[in-house]
Amino acid sequence: MADSIEALQKSKKTYLAVFGALLVGTVLTVVVASPPEFLYWLDVGEHGFDKWDAIIGLLIASTKATLVAVIFMHLNHEKKAIYWIFGAGLIFVTWMALLLALAYRDPIHDYLFYK
Amino acid sequence: MEIPYIVTPRKDTGLINSKIAIWLFLASEVMLFGGFFSAYVYLRMGADYPWPERTLPVLPGLINTFVLIGSSVTVVFAWVALKMREWRKFQIYMGITVACAALFMVLKGVEYNVKLHHQAVRLDDYSVIEGHLGYELKEGADKHHPNPDDYEKNHNGHKIEENMIRVKSEKLTFSVNRFYKSWVEEILSEAKHQNVTYILEEDVEAFTKPASSKSEKRQPKILAKKGTELSVELLQSLKKEYLKARAHNGVIRTEALRSEWVIAKKENPGKRGWEVATGVNIDMDAIGHELLTEVASATFVAEGGAELLFKPRNIQEGETSSRLRDDTVITGKLEESPMVFHNVDAIDFQWLVMKAEEKGISPESAIENSWLMKSNKFVRDAWAWHLKRNESRQKELNDRYGFEEGKNGKETDIPKRVLTHKELYRMGWKDFAKMGEETKNVSVGGVDAFKEEFLGPNYKARGEETFPHLSIPREEIRHAAKFSPAWNTYYAIYFTITGLHGLHVIGGALVLAYYLLFGRKMYLENPEWLTNRVEVGGLFWHFVDLIWIFAFPILYLM
Repeated sequence: MADSIEALQKSKKTYLAVFGALLVGTVLTVVVASPPEFLYWLDVGEHGFDKWDAIIGLLIASTKATLVAVIFMHLNHEKKAIYWIFGAGLIFVTWMALLLALAYRDPIHDYLFYK
Repeated sequence: MEIPYIVTPRKDTGLINSKIAIWLFLASEVMLFGGFFSAYVYLRMGADYPWPERTLPVLPGLINTFVLIGSSVTVVFAWVALKMREWRKFQIYMGITVACAALFMVLKGVEYNVKLHHQAVRLDDYSVIEGHLGYELKEGADKHHPNPDDYEKNHNGHKIEENMIRVKSEKLTFSVNRFYKSWVEEILSEAKHQNVTYILEEDVEAFTKPASSKSEKRQPKILAKKGTELSVELLQSLKKEYLKARAHNGVIRTEALRSEWVIAKKENPGKRGWEVATGVNIDMDAIGHELLTEVASATFVAEGGAELLFKPRNIQEGETSSRLRDDTVITGKLEESPMVFHNVDAIDFQWLVMKAEEKGISPESAIENSWLMKSNKFVRDAWAWHLKRNESRQKELNDRYGFEEGKNGKETDIPKRVLTHKELYRMGWKDFAKMGEETKNVSVGGVDAFKEEFLGPNYKARGEETFPHLSIPREEIRHAAKFSPAWNTYYAIYFTITGLHGLHVIGGALVLAYYLLFGRKMYLENPEWLTNRVEVGGLFWHFVDLIWIFAFPILYLM
């Protein structure tokens, strides 16, 4: 943990930089999602919303979230115990989502089943 | 009690205890929100209706994102200020943080309010109409600029939303056990307002005491006399008698059945219960004289009947007989009860087209044959305008992106990019506004235009030329709701995620505000302790920001 005055002063600058990055990221998500006329080339994939919009949007969001977690929440210099705790949470949430995906693939959802 | 390791770290973990605790909590929060986000994914994948893509106004969500990111920075600055023992700066930064939280909640409240007053209706043919319902006006009142006393009022003196089921109620049959007190009061009050009294149709008679023997003749007691006025107290006293009789009879019936079983077992030794069960019956003749009468309902009549109004969700209406949710049966003629939009701000044929395509009908003919197109001239004109506009929008796409190449390297007439379903089959309020500007020269500017981005269409400024009046007969309606969780699964998950997030904002802000207002004493005693507390509170606050970073694009932009 940054404890000296100089280190704290320095980290303040980092925080401001992250703040700027987050603002830019936010504007970027909106612009990419519905590009104004003069930026029409930002509309990747098909016209309108498609998987590319989802991927790009989530990528930007993940980047922003990582910035917040790493810099604001000090995950860049944290003790081991914290990584274990938070890592376990992330693993469980991923596992849960995968379980749902498995349920979604359940053969009972076969449309022929209802015919 | 001394709490250990809140200022000096524990040797084994190298951390203060509160930090471990908050991270454990955050890990559980990740799983909580993770659950809802995956619920969103699967609701969207499994939706059997056109998912409302990019349907919310972006501006409020965008501003709220800025507000929350800003507060995330100030909370970390507040922590740095404490670390450097600058109390004044801490106060300022923390103050801004809490103010940001309040602003966030206010904006959220405005957003919710707009949704919960915005009506949507799905017709029988799956076309969807959105807009604002109005209140009933007195005859001859100015429809466009009504005064406060131009409105029709009900018995409470409240305005009447034009979305009520009207029944000329000649006869009311209450379930004495299930009647809902405040609805009865409502009915009574409205009837009184119309100078109508409901009276008991017939004497309510019941045996209230068991006879001592089979031969004894019992006299029924009159619980309520014919002609007694309807009142909650009367229904309550009938309910009391009903419950008493039911309890009494229950005991006797159980006893009788039990002794029948004893006999049956004796007569059929070695047989299983299910083999003899059909032969085991209560001898009603034998116990009949001991039973009391269970009077389950009471019927009241009124000459001519009062015209009663019910919210659609509380009534299952029928031509001559309707039923309320509390099992009250209303006999009387159903009057015309249309749902009246004073301003329509969207027509949506996406679902209708989806249903038509499933059946192999072309979208054009399905729309052509929809109730809306057949019955409303404004809709026909608007749709003609919309089709023309779509043509030019498609042409723009063609000019920009060109056409697909065929096998021989020549251009085909299949465009590389086509309009979305939403653009093709939905006219939102912005399309209505554009049409009004182009064809009727109605426009708004400046502050009003900005307000529209926030609160949705400005009916007053644009008027009925842009957002027309529309009355929908009740029988055309398949489903109607405000933009609430009842409308569709998108709004259900939207309110769940944002509502839960809002609760976290409130909780976090309360904790941070506590440090701000009551932290001075701790700061003077042990500043490092307060610093650590603020860091932990800050961690939670960053997490709340983190959730919003995902919620905003997912709910507003996708």
